[in-house]
Amino acid sequence: MQPDLEDLRITPRELENLTGLDISDTFMGRVYRPSLFHHRSRLLSFVLTEILTFGLILIFCLPISLVLARGIGHLSGDASSTFWFLVTTLGLSVAIALCWNAFMWYKGKSLKVLAHLLDEVDQHNEIIQAVDIIDQLGSVRNSTVELIDRPDVLNALNATRETLLCGLMTEKILRKNKRLIARRYELFANIETNIARLQYLQVNSQANEYGQLFNEALRIGRSVQREMERLNTD
Amino acid sequence: MKHFAVLITLLRDRKKFLTEIRQNVKVERKITSLLIASSAFFAVYGAIIGASSSWQQVISSAIKLPALYLITLLICLPTLYFFDILFGSKLTFSQYAALILTTVSVISVLLFSFAPVTLFFLISIHEYNFFLLFNVAIFTITGLVGVKMFYEGMRSVTATEDRLQLVNADLTSAPIGDFLPSDAISKAVSRSADGDLDDGLQKTRTRLLQLWLVLYAMVGCQLGWTLRPFFGAPNETFNLFRSLEGNFYGQVWRSLLTLLGVQ
Repeated sequence: MQPDLEDLRITPRELENLTGLDISDTFMGRVYRPSLFHHRSRLLSFVLTEILTFGLILIFCLPISLVLARGIGHLSGDASSTFWFLVTTLGLSVAIALCWNAFMWYKGKSLKVLAHLLDEVDQHNEIIQAVDIIDQLGSVRNSTVELIDRPDVLNALNATRETLLCGLMTEKILRKNKRLIARRYELFANIETNIARLQYLQVNSQANEYGQLFNEALRIGRSVQREMERLNTD
Repeated sequence: MKHFAVLITLLRDRKKFLTEIRQNVKVERKITSLLIASSAFFAVYGAIIGASSSWQQVISSAIKLPALYLITLLICLPTLYFFDILFGSKLTFSQYAALILTTVSVISVLLFSFAPVTLFFLISIHEYNFFLLFNVAIFTITGLVGVKMFYEGMRSVTATEDRLQLVNADLTSAPIGDFLPSDAISKAVSRSADGDLDDGLQKTRTRLLQLWLVLYAMVGCQLGWTLRPFFGAPNETFNLFRSLEGNFYGQVWRSLLTLLGVQ
């Protein structure tokens, strides 16, 4: 890839710095990206993650329940009690898995804007990839493929990149200060009170300043008068 | 897959991996990936040892073996964490979890590497006691290697952490306004070069680590005994568990005696 094109890419590391979250194809932070349902490969990754998480939950739940059930004395060793134990543990694991998914869905609601921005970033990177392919085709001898107005395309991509970066930074600031922003009406009331106080202080300080200047002028005048008297008597 | 890529990064450059954990770089993702990768490897080995009995034992052991290592870790982790922060550690709970998971992952990879050998012995030898003792030996070897790596890793992480803390303390205690705080810098440099640390604290934490490893082994053996059967005795129907009697060490001794023909 040509260096000027490479600079226009938004790398995963840049994304992590800008958003403060661990971003991947399927995840933003700990939450699923909504766009993964539109791509088959990402959907496969999602299904695999769900299966693995359920497996992990089962690995933790089953033996702990086994030890607890035996300790309490609910497990007697015959087939029916074992069967009910297995059914209960499986149900518990499914419940925990559903809770985990519900938690992620709830967290994901506040990250909708970020999800949209990340999809835009993916599209931007895809366009850069397409431009790179055209560049490579164009570099082949006797090739008729040519990117018309390459500087214009690069300018447009640069502008898009800057906009996306600004968008991501703004989103992060808004997300981190969500609670403060929710209290904005309270903040405005505070600001009004503070402005009134500042104006009072300013008036006071102006008055003090005037007083000081007046005193200074008086002192200068007196010292000038003293000097004049001294010169007159000499 | 991404999770196994993290494990391969660990195996290729353990020092860099541990440094990243100490610097709190993507610790959560490391924990998730190591959990999944190590569970997968343990499950495969568990399935192989369960295959000495019935298909239900295969599934049962595939779930029980990862659970054994991971639940022991879960039980013993708070002890290590609280005792270590009492003696001056600045690492977080997630960092401790990640450090111990690196050991468990290394053990899982070592077990997985023994899988073809175990499979071979499973197919060629139909002697339950030999298979049992053979696997006990494998678990012991992999456990010792993993523990040794954990011990070295923890010591290097805590020693670096202590050294950095002392260097920072030296530099911040330099008088403000000195253009060349040469005393502070030379003191810091000599500390980092010679490793002249607070020996008492380091020794205490090393002793703590050793005791914790003994605790981990004891909890692990007891949990293993409680969760048995992993192998499934021959000519017996599938049991999800056996009654709580005897102990792990007695059984190993009895198997050894049976194998030697004494009993």
